[in-house]
Amino acid sequence: MRFRTIDQLEDALRDADYLPDRGLATALFLSLALEKPLLLEGEAGVGKTEAAKALARSLGARLIRLQCYEGLDVQHAVYEWNYPRQLLHIRAAQEGSVSEDELFGPEFLIRRPLLEAIDTDEAVVLLIDEVDRADEEFEAFLLEVLSDYQITIPELGTIRARRRPPVVLTSNRTRELHDALKRRALFHWIGHPAVEREIEIVKLRVPGIPDRLAVEAAAFVRGLRTLDLAKPPGVAETIDWAHALAALGRREIDAEVVEQTLGSVLKYREDIEAVRDETLAGLVDQARAAGTR
Amino acid sequence: MADALVRHVVTFGRVLREVGLEVGPGRVADALRGLAAVDLTRQPDVYWTLRQTLVARHDELALFDRAFAAWFLREPIHPDGRGAVPEPPQLQRVVKAADDSAARGEEDDEQDGDPLEVGASAHEVLREKDFAEMTPEEFARARSLIAAIARTRPRRASRRRCADPRGDVLDLRRLVRRSLRTGGDPLERPYRARKDVPRKLVVLCDVSGSMDAYTRALLLFLHAVVGTGRGVEAFAFGTRLSRLTPELGTRDPEAALERAAGAVTDWGSGTRIGASLKEFNDVYGRRALSRGAVVVVVSDGWERQDPELVGREMARLARAAYAVVWVNPLKGNPEYQPLAGGMRAALPFVDRFLPGHNLRSLEELATVLAGIERRHAA
Repeated sequence: MRFRTIDQLEDALRDADYLPDRGLATALFLSLALEKPLLLEGEAGVGKTEAAKALARSLGARLIRLQCYEGLDVQHAVYEWNYPRQLLHIRAAQEGSVSEDELFGPEFLIRRPLLEAIDTDEAVVLLIDEVDRADEEFEAFLLEVLSDYQITIPELGTIRARRRPPVVLTSNRTRELHDALKRRALFHWIGHPAVEREIEIVKLRVPGIPDRLAVEAAAFVRGLRTLDLAKPPGVAETIDWAHALAALGRREIDAEVVEQTLGSVLKYREDIEAVRDETLAGLVDQARAAGTR
Repeated sequence: MADALVRHVVTFGRVLREVGLEVGPGRVADALRGLAAVDLTRQPDVYWTLRQTLVARHDELALFDRAFAAWFLREPIHPDGRGAVPEPPQLQRVVKAADDSAARGEEDDEQDGDPLEVGASAHEVLREKDFAEMTPEEFARARSLIAAIARTRPRRASRRRCADPRGDVLDLRRLVRRSLRTGGDPLERPYRARKDVPRKLVVLCDVSGSMDAYTRALLLFLHAVVGTGRGVEAFAFGTRLSRLTPELGTRDPEAALERAAGAVTDWGSGTRIGASLKEFNDVYGRRALSRGAVVVVVSDGWERQDPELVGREMARLARAAYAVVWVNPLKGNPEYQPLAGGMRAALPFVDRFLPGHNLRSLEELATVLAGIERRHAA
């Protein structure tokens, strides 16, 4: 394995513009060391997908991403035959000269993410994003693939991974995943980061942002998370918002600019309404106090 | 690796099993392999390694942390709530009554054969009878019928297709294969069709004092619904919300009811429908549990605190759900008018409003669930 200690991996992730806490760094390290898939769970926007991307960057590997959704099937996740080409090939050839074997050969195969990740010689990281959105039938299929790292295509036979790619699964916990799938994977829960880390993340992801603005933005979002909201903002929202504030040329926040830009932090009308007026003024004061400290 | 460490971790695995985590030998082996790869002198790394290899669910994290603190950091174990909560008196009665009737039901079986085969007229009377007025014998007979009713589930079209001559999409793989014989002309056209699969079903059941008489029947209904397979989530609420899916997920209804009783701490107390709906929307709705689901609320709509909140939260629920069904046993009374504040606030967001006070109306519920059309789409 490329990284011999957690510290080494942590440094590499940092170089890839990602600041993991020790828990996440350990999880990614173990996933590589034990060659087991890693299941990342946590609220939306805490950086689950980003973690997989950063892992790929720090390994110098290509990220292959499978976005799951209800109804995802084998044709979109694993492979599909290129039917138009097959038909054209039969027509172009002399009558009777095309065999079935030839027709269902590798050149007519469209490779989708899972097959691509299994059947490759280059270094890849496989990200299976929002696996909880896929149907349970697909989950069962995924379990097979992640057990043996092999895929069977009836016409071509079984394709085995030459080396096991690192696999990261993410879930927003819209439902519990099947126990068998969980047994295959290491499990890490990502929470919202501590405020110091969030400030660090903002500075890293919004280059050139004034220190004070980064501190105030992080403090304000942290304040929002203590409220009773339908969708508390994640790190992704903090970064978006800090970008917006920096683009407006702000060096600090005030009630007016917060009100104008609240839409990039809160995504529900109810939430935006709940934070108007006094609540907002109070949070701004707190954040500004943090900024001047 | 040192034998002492192996023993230590194996024993810790046993400790975790005792507090209720599913820690199989595979997980312990992973933990040992993990520990071999990290620096054992760094306590956080040891903690994370054990946590990530031995825990598989978010709701087990607190238990793990407590056990870790007790085992590795030698902190005293604080008495844990699990199993220590005294069973609420009212449900003991419910479960006991169900036990009694089950026992009596068995005796009946020997004389009368299967309860389902009882004469049609007796059936009819039973179907119409309000659950609140049933004798234990009648209820025992009603049970198997409740289970049969609950097996009907709403369905949605799956993306998976299988060969079907009346299907709507060409089966290209087969078409290509058959075209070989005809020089590339697709003369034969095999089709594929979508299979119907059950639509997600979420049931929120009011177990507060005013619903006492119907609780037993509805819990049996819930148990049978959960028994129909995955994709069903069941919750009970009174003053607060409890998730019942795991408790109801056993084959034995009596044991499941008892365990559900352990989980619902406010059995038979007052109702806070709005607050419970809010808790559902906040915790489970945010995880999109209700998205695309048929949501069934079983309650008499007696909100004592804040009817407006009921309206707001029903609106949120209805936006996420495929359809919302409200089952109110009071509706079985022809005199009933939905005037109770909570009920009136909820109705604008309800697609179907049903009674559910006797077997016949549970059948009606099952029919509605089977063929439900979304109101907004109609």
